[in-house]
Amino acid sequence: MSALPLPLPPAVAEAVWRGDALGRGTDTVWPSGFDALDAELPGGGWPGRQLTELLLPQFSLAEWRLAGPALRRVVADGAAVAMVGPPKRPHLPGLMHLGLDERHLVWIDARAPSERLWCAEQLIKSNAAGAVLAWMPQAAPEQLRRLQVLAQSFEGPVFLFRPLAARHDPSPAPLRLQVTIDVDWALDVLILKRKGPAHETPLRLASIPGGLERVLTPRVMRPSTMRPVAPLAPLAPVMPAATEAAPAAASAAALSESSRAPQPLALFPELTDVVGRPDPAASSAGAVR
Amino acid sequence: MLWVALILPPRPPAPSADPAAPPDHPWGICPEAQAGLAVWCLQFTPRVALMEDAVVMEVEASLRLFRGRGALQARIADEAPDLGAVGIGWAPTATAALVLARCGVPDLGGRLLQAVLDPLPLQALSAGAEHAEPLSRAGINTLGQLRALPRGGISRRFGAALLAMLDQAYGLRPEARRWEVLPEDFHARIELPGRVDHAPALLLGARPLLMRLCGWLAARHAGATGVTLHWVHDSMRAKDAGDGGSLTIRTAEPIRALEHFCRLMAEHLAKTKLLAPVGELRLEAIGVQALAEDSASLLPDTVRTGETLYLTLERIAARLGPERVMQPAPGDDHRLEWMTRWQPATDGQRAGASGTGRRRLATRPAPSMPEPGFLLEPPLRLALREHRPHYQGALTLLVGPDRVEGGWWDRLPARAPADAATGTGTRTGTGAGARDQTAPPFTALVPQDDAAMVAVGHRNVVRDYWIAVNDSAGVVAIFRQPLDDGGSAWFLHGVYA
Repeated sequence: MSALPLPLPPAVAEAVWRGDALGRGTDTVWPSGFDALDAELPGGGWPGRQLTELLLPQFSLAEWRLAGPALRRVVADGAAVAMVGPPKRPHLPGLMHLGLDERHLVWIDARAPSERLWCAEQLIKSNAAGAVLAWMPQAAPEQLRRLQVLAQSFEGPVFLFRPLAARHDPSPAPLRLQVTIDVDWALDVLILKRKGPAHETPLRLASIPGGLERVLTPRVMRPSTMRPVAPLAPLAPVMPAATEAAPAAASAAALSESSRAPQPLALFPELTDVVGRPDPAASSAGAVR
Repeated sequence: MLWVALILPPRPPAPSADPAAPPDHPWGICPEAQAGLAVWCLQFTPRVALMEDAVVMEVEASLRLFRGRGALQARIADEAPDLGAVGIGWAPTATAALVLARCGVPDLGGRLLQAVLDPLPLQALSAGAEHAEPLSRAGINTLGQLRALPRGGISRRFGAALLAMLDQAYGLRPEARRWEVLPEDFHARIELPGRVDHAPALLLGARPLLMRLCGWLAARHAGATGVTLHWVHDSMRAKDAGDGGSLTIRTAEPIRALEHFCRLMAEHLAKTKLLAPVGELRLEAIGVQALAEDSASLLPDTVRTGETLYLTLERIAARLGPERVMQPAPGDDHRLEWMTRWQPATDGQRAGASGTGRRRLATRPAPSMPEPGFLLEPPLRLALREHRPHYQGALTLLVGPDRVEGGWWDRLPARAPADAATGTGTRTGTGAGARDQTAPPFTALVPQDDAAMVAVGHRNVVRDYWIAVNDSAGVVAIFRQPLDDGGSAWFLHGVYA
């Protein structure tokens, strides 16, 4: 035998799995609607017969934007999409933009973690719905393992939405993705776990939700350039439009105190009233630009 | 001809002879158990007869419908013991099947009937058991030995009945049976073997009743939309416990799936408390109607049926409550929260939409306006900083305004004047987060009315919707609403998730 590898016949080469190739997933896959994502997913789409974990910084952020485009195929043969414990009230007209309609949606208002698990388990076990979307704020690995074992008999995709904090926990789901949003109508997706080599560079997927593509003008296609301008109008030309936030903010604070000393609180309005999640990054970024 | 015999065990003698009790069965078995077993058997074939202490049925013509003899044999062997059958025999004649069942021989095993019957003891044949003693003194212990004797002598000494039954067992003489008739109504009753204190344990007794019910429904090609389980308390009960209780389970679609009935019953019994120990159960069927059955086609059916989803939802609704398993219905309105009405999925009226199985349906056209995927309920009032709404950071307004105005026709149900007065009093604090004290408790089905709407008495809204975005909250739908004091407030209403 020579040391040089002989070119394999095509039939053999096709049957040989190489270490750098993506694993072959399950028999059925559902194209995700994003070509770049399909290229990275084993099998070329969302897999059936297993769990798919989507980790989000917070719920009701990008669930439909990421998982929604695949559902059009799921419901095409009349199957239903079951939602277990969505964080907010689902809005039918918005989902109709994804090809879903009232005959294909079931909302199960499960609240306690045990109820969510039980409902998801019943739906997966019966293999009657076309897809199951379950929001799981808390779930133990052994509970997910139970779902994963049951999911092997469920033909459609099963999406579990979990908080981003769960990314360091072990999980039996064969496919795990981390999703964050980009205001310029895109999603940043990182595949944390898949059958195949590790995924290192985040994917940027263009995504315009809810039929907005019909009303967006070219001006608003880059919302990142239209951030609210802080009340530092005379200082804005002084400051370069740079992203180095810390020194800029410090100098801005120093300058502003000299010029607009009577109203120090106006610079840091977050100190006066805070709504929703306090975001320390927003104060410096908002003040600089 | 292929006969199956199912024999029942003798009933233990009643401790106290009750003069009003019905006369005992000549074979010492419980007549109700025999009738119940016959009803269950009628799902396999109309040729079912009561014979001595057994039920016999002729199933030759039904084999194909029940997926062949092996499958039917396995099914009967699996289910009949739950109904009290202690022995099962398969043979070409009813008498032989009964003999085999009594001797514990399941079937012929590929041999001839004569070869199987000959070595069996004489006592297995009821006519032979009567004359077993004189025959055994003569050295006759098996059916084969009896058959070898001269027929004339047997007939003279022991009567023609013995010979007739022997011939019937060997298939030499025709058998005549009176076929059982399926009752028009279903009522089943069972005496529990022991007193039951604990409601979930009633399921053990209810299961044979449900099996009988499913057999009866299958024989009528029908399904039931509900069952009622009555229980009768023991005679040794507290005075205030009453005679018994009942539990009605309803399903929206007629079904006759035993496991589904059992699961629903288990869910409901788990929430039931018994006031006294229970000694007897009765079961009635409600809303029996014809059921379209699945085709037992040779080709595999790739299309899964919608019925299983329906049954799953029903099971979930039994635990969570029907108002928490919902399906949407589009509403004709411009106000976002009224565009969708979420209704209980297990509502009977919705069965047509959800339960008719999977079909390719034309997709509804998407609405022409962009719509968020999630709604907040009620809308969340946003803080203002530098005249900009903030939600998890400053929001950048992108598209708008889109004026939504309407709802003056949508009057709230009339309230007592006192409530209206307090509503007016709190009118200045029109935060969307402020919930009216008299508002009904939160249900997901109907959007919540906020205090301002309650004060005005109708659900009129004047809103300018904007689409806004920021880094942490994503794309959201917010609106500005004029306030009574002349200013305006921003509210977060939807998320383009």
